[in-house]
Amino acid sequence: MQPIAQKEEGLVSYKHEAAPTPHDDHGGDHHHHHAPHHGFFRTYVWSHDHKMIGMQYLFASLLFMAVSGALAMGVRWQLAFPGHPVPVIGHLLPASIANPDGSIAPGGYNALVTMHATIMIFLAIMPILIGVFGNFLIPLKIGAPDMAFPFFNALSFWLFFVSGIIMLASFFVPGGAAAGGWTSYAPLSTTAIYQGSAEAGHTYAQGQSMWALGIFINGLASIAGAANYITTIINMRCPGMTMFRLPLTVWALFITSFLLLLAVPVLSAAGAMLWFDLNAGTHFFSGDNVTGGQPLLWQHLFWFFGHPEVYIMILPAMGLVSEILPVFARKPIFGYRAMVYAIAAIGVLGFIVWGHHMFVSGMNLVLSATFSLSTMVIAVPSAIKTFNWMGTIWKGSIHFTTAMLFCLAFVILFVIGGFSGIFMAATPIDLFIHHTYHIVAHIHYVLFGGSLFAILGSIYFYFPKMFGRMMSERLGKWHFWLTFIFFNLTFFPMHNLGLAGMMRRIADPTQYEHLRNLQPLQVFVSLSAFGLGASFFLFWWNFFYSLFRGPKAPHNPWRANTLEWTLPSPITLHGNFEQTPVVYHGPYEYSVPGLSQDWLPQNMPLRDMPKNAGVAIDVD
Amino acid sequence: MISPRFSRRVLPLLVAALTLLLGQNHCFAETRTTNLWWAPDAVTVGGHKVDHLLTFVFNLTGITFIIVAAVYAWFIVKYRYRPGVRAVYSHGNDKLEAIWTCIPAVVFIGLAAYSNHLWKELRSAAPADAIPIDIVAHQFGWFIRNPGLDGKLGAFDQKLLSTENTFGIFDGDPDGAGKDDYSSSDLIIPVGRPVNVILRSQDVIHSFYIPEFRMYQDAVPGRKIDWVWFTADRTGSFQLACSQLCGSGHYNMKAAVKVVTQEEYDKIVKEKSKEALLDNLKKQSAQQQHDDSAPAAASQPVAQR
Repeated sequence: MQPIAQKEEGLVSYKHEAAPTPHDDHGGDHHHHHAPHHGFFRTYVWSHDHKMIGMQYLFASLLFMAVSGALAMGVRWQLAFPGHPVPVIGHLLPASIANPDGSIAPGGYNALVTMHATIMIFLAIMPILIGVFGNFLIPLKIGAPDMAFPFFNALSFWLFFVSGIIMLASFFVPGGAAAGGWTSYAPLSTTAIYQGSAEAGHTYAQGQSMWALGIFINGLASIAGAANYITTIINMRCPGMTMFRLPLTVWALFITSFLLLLAVPVLSAAGAMLWFDLNAGTHFFSGDNVTGGQPLLWQHLFWFFGHPEVYIMILPAMGLVSEILPVFARKPIFGYRAMVYAIAAIGVLGFIVWGHHMFVSGMNLVLSATFSLSTMVIAVPSAIKTFNWMGTIWKGSIHFTTAMLFCLAFVILFVIGGFSGIFMAATPIDLFIHHTYHIVAHIHYVLFGGSLFAILGSIYFYFPKMFGRMMSERLGKWHFWLTFIFFNLTFFPMHNLGLAGMMRRIADPTQYEHLRNLQPLQVFVSLSAFGLGASFFLFWWNFFYSLFRGPKAPHNPWRANTLEWTLPSPITLHGNFEQTPVVYHGPYEYSVPGLSQDWLPQNMPLRDMPKNAGVAIDVD
Repeated sequence: MISPRFSRRVLPLLVAALTLLLGQNHCFAETRTTNLWWAPDAVTVGGHKVDHLLTFVFNLTGITFIIVAAVYAWFIVKYRYRPGVRAVYSHGNDKLEAIWTCIPAVVFIGLAAYSNHLWKELRSAAPADAIPIDIVAHQFGWFIRNPGLDGKLGAFDQKLLSTENTFGIFDGDPDGAGKDDYSSSDLIIPVGRPVNVILRSQDVIHSFYIPEFRMYQDAVPGRKIDWVWFTADRTGSFQLACSQLCGSGHYNMKAAVKVVTQEEYDKIVKEKSKEALLDNLKKQSAQQQHDDSAPAAASQPVAQR
């Protein structure tokens, strides 16, 4: 099988490359084309260039992801070996997390679980999908010189980064990090005395307050970014780039931005109210029947955000996958318009399903029925997209690069995650599996098997364009297979654990009669999780080594059609395009009959492309 | 997906052997050695209905998944790159789009209708002869109050919940139903009789979760949730777990649930009611004497900032 990417040395010349820019002899050096007055600070710290901001988001998010992954390892250790000291680092853990002997304390376990989810969601998955790929790709794919509001864009990144520092710092305040779950249900989260603490005699809620503050600031970054993206996409498309010639990544990010704009302010408000309940004597969410608060109000506000949030995390991933599958199947995306309508449908429907998190919360039972219906209906556009992805590879010519492997896996893992969601959408079944590990399995199949696999594939795919070098395909394939295998070994058995009645967020399953016999399965899951964590080191090694020592990348190693691949690798020009490109067709014109090559860049008119004489020429 | 039928035979024996070797077995509640890859056997009437739906959804999603995955795998293998073979230039097929929009829509909406029908049944009002049991969750356990021989619980008021008055009982209970109510740390119910649990919470959101009963409900402070009812259809020992994160003691918040025969239940009720009545009389006369000598001190309300 000939890979589409180059062999590790040298460039391949194409017969009819897209219009080369005069700067294609620059390698991975970032410094060359910055205007002379931009020093280190303006280039790397406070850059207004969307490409640099995208990379800032990337490095920061990968760091936060590493931290959150480590927290997850702590969670799995405690579940498999409750009460056993954490090896090597047990004694170094703060008192809010671990006992003096290095084993994880119950309150500390709750903090690990809370912060693992919070950091993964707000500081890793969202920033990579939206901050990295949104920032880096949107102007390039629409032929724009930068975002509509570059200053605002820089501000977004630093707000995000500050929110991350606050979240990490919360581990080190008295009482430790927030420990009420990433969902922070009131009144546990709003009342210090209920939170208890490992430090006897004191109750602190500083960690929870910092959580609320971090969420609020993170929300500001999201809202600013969303406004930027919508404005850019509507106003700054190059000539010929009509809405229905937009790459699906851009469509997905466009609709995601509307979700962000409408949902995040609700979370910010709820977070502010939570902060006030903790620190200013308000009673928005109290349940004491005296002061007039309502615990369920928190849940409605949180989940009104929380449900669109999960679509915020999956739609860009779907867009990225929809971009990569056609490239490596050498075929147009199947059903472009249906895909766009499905994204829009998911976005709209996503706002009317939040009650499915609250079926058994004490909410009115009739509401449960209506939310159950809307939840079942939202499965339909996801099904449409899945069939379209399958249609894309049908009768294609599939090249199994690392990026393609991750995207192929995305489809089937997302299907598993979606199907496990059907169980919960049926309210009587939710009566039984609510707040069990069945939910945890579902979450991880859609967020890890879904979003994170799409992220990893996209990093392998866009790395050449960002950094001017290729990542190692060999290491990449090892990384993929190990991740895929360990991921399934870790999370599939959680469906069974959930059905067996294992509740979420319990620091010691051996306390329960109905779970004690399942401990061997817990150990198996944890060992698989450790394997999964270890396989990430392959990725980080590949990523950082390739940054400095990877083979130089050509303009268009993947022979893709979208506009960013007409530019050099890496793109060093502020303003991206020497001349504003003109677009003649959609982005998925692969294997057009009659052409001598199997791809057709968006900025090349069909009439200018060399035709073949009726013989199918092998493009490899 | 792993078929539950296969896994019922081989794996549980292995796991059971491992467990007996590695773990201790208390016979506090039933320990499971069969069916370990699936849910524990349901022991309530409603639970069996939930299981029907569960099995239906499992089969539906399982079969669909196998078909989808098989087709997908076949495409991946069959349409891999081969030199000289070009991909087909196709932008899609509107007819197919219509088909694979309508069929899933019909299936999912049908499933929603079926589920909602069962939900309505499970959450209908408890029958009039259901035994009411008052459960007040707190960090980190449940206060359980059982009706005495009269089968009625004494009236309570949410606003009266306090550390001393854990059930918020009226001081002067007008119809006297509460005089023979007795509290317990275990939930003891008779087999074959509907039981209506009234859920409340003193501090944060807890929940009432018994896996074998297929029953879950959050207990929300400030609210009284009275639509949880079930009928156990066999005797046994089970475990009540809190399944809503409620603080650092959440991992250990559990209580015993015992389903006993009607005779045993009657015996327990008779005994405990008598004790409760006597206790009440003693308290009343003690209170009388106390009132005569000094005014009563107010007790602390529970959710105090």
